Amino acid sequence: MTKTISRRDFLKLGGIAAGALALGQLIPPEVASAARKSGMLDASDSGYIPTMCEMCVWRCGVLAKVENGRVVKLEGNPEHPHSRGKLCPRGQSGLMNTYDPDRVLTPLIRVGKRGEGLFRQASWDEALDLVAENMLKIKNTYGPEAMVFSSTHNLSQVQFENLLYAYGSPNYGTQRSLCFNAMITAFLLTYGVEEPARNYEDVEFILMVGRNMMEAISTSETGELAHAIDRGAKLVYLDPRFTKTAAKATEWIPIRPGTDAAFLLAMINVITQNELADCEFVKQYVIGCDEIVDEMSGYTPAWAEEITGVPAETIDRIAREYAAAKQNALAHPGWRTSNFINSFQTERAIATLNAMSGNVLTPGGCLSTEVAAEGAGLGMPPQPPYPRVSALRLDGVPWKYPLVPLKLGVFQELRDAILTEDPYQSHGWFISRQNPILSLPDRNKTLEAFGKMDFIATVDIIMNDTAWFSDVVLPESSYLERYDPLLPVGDKAFIRQPVIEPQGEAKSALWIYKQLGDRLGLGDYFQYSDEEDYLNQQLAPLGISLDEVKAQGYADMPESEEEEGDLTFNTTSGKIEVYSETLKNNGFSPWPTWEEPPFPAENEFYLLTGKVAQQTQMGTQNNLLLHKYSDEPRLWMNTKTAAERGLVDGDWVLITSPVGKANSKILVTEAIRPDCVYLTPGYGHLSKGLTTAYGVGPSDSALHVTYTDPISGSQALSQTFVTVEKA
Amino acid sequence: MKIKIRIPDWMLSPWVMGMVILSAMAILISFIRMVVGIGPVSNLNDAYPWGFWISFDIYTGVALGAGAFTMAAVVYIFDLKKFTPLVRPSVLTGFLGYAMVAVALLVDLGRPENIWHMIIYQNHTSFLFEIGICVMTYLTVLLLEFIPVIFEGFRWNGVVHFFHKWLTLPLVILGVVLSTLHQSSLGSLTIIMPAKLHPLWWTPFIPILFFVSAVIVGFGMVIVESQISARALHRGIEINLLKVVASWIPYGSALYLILRFGQLAVEGKLGYLFTSGVYSLLFWIEILLIGIIPLVLFSQKKVRKSPNGLLYGALSVVLGVVLNRFDVSWIALGGRIFDTTGYVPSISEVLVSFGFVAASVLVFRYIALHFPLFVDEEEYQEENTIEQAHPVKAGD
Amino acid sequence: MKSKIDLSSINYRAILFDATRCIDCRACMVACSVQNNVPNDVTRIWVAGDAVMGEFPDLERATMPYHCMHCHDPACASACPVGAYTKRPDGPVLYDPNVCIGCRYCMNACPFDVPHFEWNRGVDEHAEIIKCDLCTPRVDGGQEPACVATCPTDALLFGDRYELIQIARQRIKDHPDRYIDDIYGETENGGTSYLIISHVPFGHLGLPTDIPNEGVGKLSESIMGATLPFAAAWGTVLTGIAIGSRQLHKRKQNHADEADKVSEAAPANESASVSETADTEEQP
Repeated sequence: MTKTISRRDFLKLGGIAAGALALGQLIPPEVASAARKSGMLDASDSGYIPTMCEMCVWRCGVLAKVENGRVVKLEGNPEHPHSRGKLCPRGQSGLMNTYDPDRVLTPLIRVGKRGEGLFRQASWDEALDLVAENMLKIKNTYGPEAMVFSSTHNLSQVQFENLLYAYGSPNYGTQRSLCFNAMITAFLLTYGVEEPARNYEDVEFILMVGRNMMEAISTSETGELAHAIDRGAKLVYLDPRFTKTAAKATEWIPIRPGTDAAFLLAMINVITQNELADCEFVKQYVIGCDEIVDEMSGYTPAWAEEITGVPAETIDRIAREYAAAKQNALAHPGWRTSNFINSFQTERAIATLNAMSGNVLTPGGCLSTEVAAEGAGLGMPPQPPYPRVSALRLDGVPWKYPLVPLKLGVFQELRDAILTEDPYQSHGWFISRQNPILSLPDRNKTLEAFGKMDFIATVDIIMNDTAWFSDVVLPESSYLERYDPLLPVGDKAFIRQPVIEPQGEAKSALWIYKQLGDRLGLGDYFQYSDEEDYLNQQLAPLGISLDEVKAQGYADMPESEEEEGDLTFNTTSGKIEVYSETLKNNGFSPWPTWEEPPFPAENEFYLLTGKVAQQTQMGTQNNLLLHKYSDEPRLWMNTKTAAERGLVDGDWVLITSPVGKANSKILVTEAIRPDCVYLTPGYGHLSKGLTTAYGVGPSDSALHVTYTDPISGSQALSQTFVTVEKA
Repeated sequence: MKIKIRIPDWMLSPWVMGMVILSAMAILISFIRMVVGIGPVSNLNDAYPWGFWISFDIYTGVALGAGAFTMAAVVYIFDLKKFTPLVRPSVLTGFLGYAMVAVALLVDLGRPENIWHMIIYQNHTSFLFEIGICVMTYLTVLLLEFIPVIFEGFRWNGVVHFFHKWLTLPLVILGVVLSTLHQSSLGSLTIIMPAKLHPLWWTPFIPILFFVSAVIVGFGMVIVESQISARALHRGIEINLLKVVASWIPYGSALYLILRFGQLAVEGKLGYLFTSGVYSLLFWIEILLIGIIPLVLFSQKKVRKSPNGLLYGALSVVLGVVLNRFDVSWIALGGRIFDTTGYVPSISEVLVSFGFVAASVLVFRYIALHFPLFVDEEEYQEENTIEQAHPVKAGD
Repeated sequence: MKSKIDLSSINYRAILFDATRCIDCRACMVACSVQNNVPNDVTRIWVAGDAVMGEFPDLERATMPYHCMHCHDPACASACPVGAYTKRPDGPVLYDPNVCIGCRYCMNACPFDVPHFEWNRGVDEHAEIIKCDLCTPRVDGGQEPACVATCPTDALLFGDRYELIQIARQRIKDHPDRYIDDIYGETENGGTSYLIISHVPFGHLGLPTDIPNEGVGKLSESIMGATLPFAAAWGTVLTGIAIGSRQLHKRKQNHADEADKVSEAAPANESASVSETADTEEQP
């Protein structure tokens, strides 16, 4: 495996890398013919093929330029609402994801000990047979619930879940509780919608709590925010770090971590005490609008100042400015809200603020609950009903976490239950497009959990850490090499299609799941012969040919009928529930309320996390192009704090948390609160099969303590306190 | 002419051995450079694309080869024939110096395989193009000027005679013109970098300053080379000639001082003389070494007549001009925006340069030992030793 | 791929960078590396600027993608001995690696310190200067430069230089509190095709602030232009001196000979005999 690509034409990897990559893949003939017919490809099969990016979950539409059977450039698809012709740095680097010399291109079966990285190549038949054999053994010996399935959100997930439900296991771990449980649960309870859409066209005032939009880039939304600011919209941004979003904000509030809810509740206090919200108007849509004045009366700006460190006048002023913008004010719901256990309350407060401004009540307003359900309007292969599942879910939903939506789950709880074996033992783990070893908090625990498994199989495109510790690795083709189910965005259903034939023996997830399903005796649940057949079945209700979709990159969806009349919300009452009966019935505060977070001791720091524009979580550190333009991952420390401790920029330090240690160089900077330190997430890979990423940077997951919010099941990543000393 | 030099006993002395090893290292490092590139064998980087090699091999190498054209001009253009014994060694020094420049260029150029491109791809606005063409041509000129010595060694008298009769003067005139151009143009390279070269050095008049200092150092080098080869090869020194050469230097130094300070005054830069910290210091050291010391020393007859006096005065000139070249091409050339690492030459860089010098010295030594490089000594001793009763007239 | 730009409306190509919109995501750099097949250990664009400035919590950020300025009067083109640089009449300054000898004079000459060099290439790998070429082949094919096309916040704009200057002026006028009232590149080094407007002084973006308003190559070129006439003149003078001094010495020689004949008994004049010997050696 090559270490550095320094040759002139770095794309011509074939022949240099250990024979694993074949020279000049062709474009799959069906794709090519469609593209040729539409004029996208010329006679020499050079031109553009429309598909979708997978470097993050925003899934921008991509036009992939092919020349002589190689992808040579990626452009944003101007017709895709998520890219609008642009791609972020990860999108642009997608080629190196496909042409990464460390790609796994054949099925691998472990021969050494777990974690040694010794595998032998195997045929698909052998590997799939082995996986099915083990899964059946576990099912028959211990019951299907002894098999854990986990996958992060991806376009083939519907078939992964199909496999899961058909197999009959209730144990499904997704990244959701590590990411947005707080947000989704709060908005489900308040608006009946998982995640309201944001519209920046007329916005005048934006309040963001975290949501580092300029680094956690969602291409189109990042652009819209930038344009809104350019136009003159005010951005107030709360974050203990001076991120690149903070730099664009009209006002950056370096708030104490964990106290966002206090700030927001004080805002609500100011608005309600001074009758700044048009409560008469919102009353018919909001439950609790009358009583909210009393309920919030204790949360004064003075009270909040004590807690947050933000001056009372500032809170007061911002509240008034927010209210003055009326329905052109937007309190951003956020996304990764797994910060503190009280993040759920923070989200509830945000939802309340939006309700107060009325923006969510205005059709086409800044916040919209009119979101099309995923997959609506598209067909599906038929399948028999799923078997009943009687076993309890290991992740405690709903028996331990009554309010966590079933599909969100509590992944970290699932991992802990594997360790405690309570209420029963797990014996197998099937993972697809996920890296639990680095994504779950407390890596040592996760490794321990792996140790308890009789059998682990992973589907991945590269030897990521989880694959490294698995028994069987099934090579998926990269997103430029495969079909995935169609994805509706707005009024179109977009296609992901192979731009080149898969390299080596890599196969699409759709194929892998069906193969496994067949071998598990679950063939009836996978009634499609191949990917194209699957897509055809999806397109059936629309009456469009697959060729057409391949050619232009999407299918137009029929317009959903607009409902006239009063707005309704998908809550039990049909109204916005600032006061939530559901919460009350489950023993929680029905109102957004203040829950005091823990505070670090004298010599401890908050360990913050946050995205960077050049990486996606823990999956892209091996990408050579991104590695080239990424900052060295270091521990951020405030200048004064460093000086007090006699540390200078570049010093090595030992970071210690209650569950782990990590070594890191420090970055001395003014851009962070003195009581905080920050680590770029996703580094510290253990897999030696990642020749670029291995050995780079410290692991934050090795340090994170597992904390779970009882209401939303959200992990609290910033509640880990660490000590830092010179190494 | 006969060879009359006492060959030293030690054929492989520590000195010679040392120079052989140094040369071998230079060749080895050069080979490595060809395989892996300049980066691994040097500390050059994007903020410092030129460094020790350019300053030492090119700028200094060319400057110190100036003795060839100055002495050739003295003897063949100004027709002062008595200085002839000084011409050959200085032409050889010049030739070896320029040959070393050419070899060093092969190492320093990023694409040495394209070194001949300057002949067919010509950008006439570029001073570097002019330098390249001049140096290429001048190297040929020097070779042709020197080769009669080789032919003499082989006793091909007819050829020698042909060269002397028809070729020498035109070659010398061409050589002086070429030298004037490229000696001055090495300074002119910096005219395009007004923001990068320190104001104490940057000036549109730099070609004139470089030329005048080249002439001065040319004479200085003649003295130095003569002294060193005398001591190393155990031969007498042409003190009566050298003292006259030394007597010209003060005029050059005085002119240089007038021009240098005059330029600074006209351009309003006198304020930098004492306020530029280390740069002021470097400037004054240059002035001291090129201007003041030689002016003071060589105005005195007794200094001019003493072998040590000659050597020290000449060394001052040489060191001063070397410092000036280093300042212009490296030390005072700052102002890079993306300097993150600074630049200090690596050991391999220095070894390569010193190794090339060692190689030229070895070649010089070989030719001195086997070819009529130095005019017949007996004849010489008779006519030009310090014990000579009849003093040579001033102005000769 | 439909044509994205109307080349016919662009007389002189340029890029406008608005520092207030840059979020330092580096999509432009990745796109450039891919578009232009840039090897992994070098780059054509890089992040410049102070990044974080100020003291907590009064902080500001400034970064820009730094690359070739595509000057009207490129110093690199003036300085390159083999003419590896060409200034196209419609703007871009192009580099031809096949002509290049790797002397790196361009790196010194460029007042913006733009050209980078492939230091780690052996002779068989043909080291090149690395420099932005305004995506000229891509633009010629009707698309915006790769960096401009992908920028998620539209911090980069591509078009005709005159138009872009108007746009820049309008932006500054619309938000005088937001921008420094200056367009970098309008006059620097005689004008460039990479134009920058900014919320902070340009030095904080990493741009040199001491660039004269006239191309730095002009003075150098005018002095260089005098070379040939000077050489001819100097050669003539030297020939004259050569002839003159020989005449002079011959006359002196004749005088001396005559003096010799007069004073036979006196010891021979050193210089005369030496020069006599020398003369018989040197002269035909």
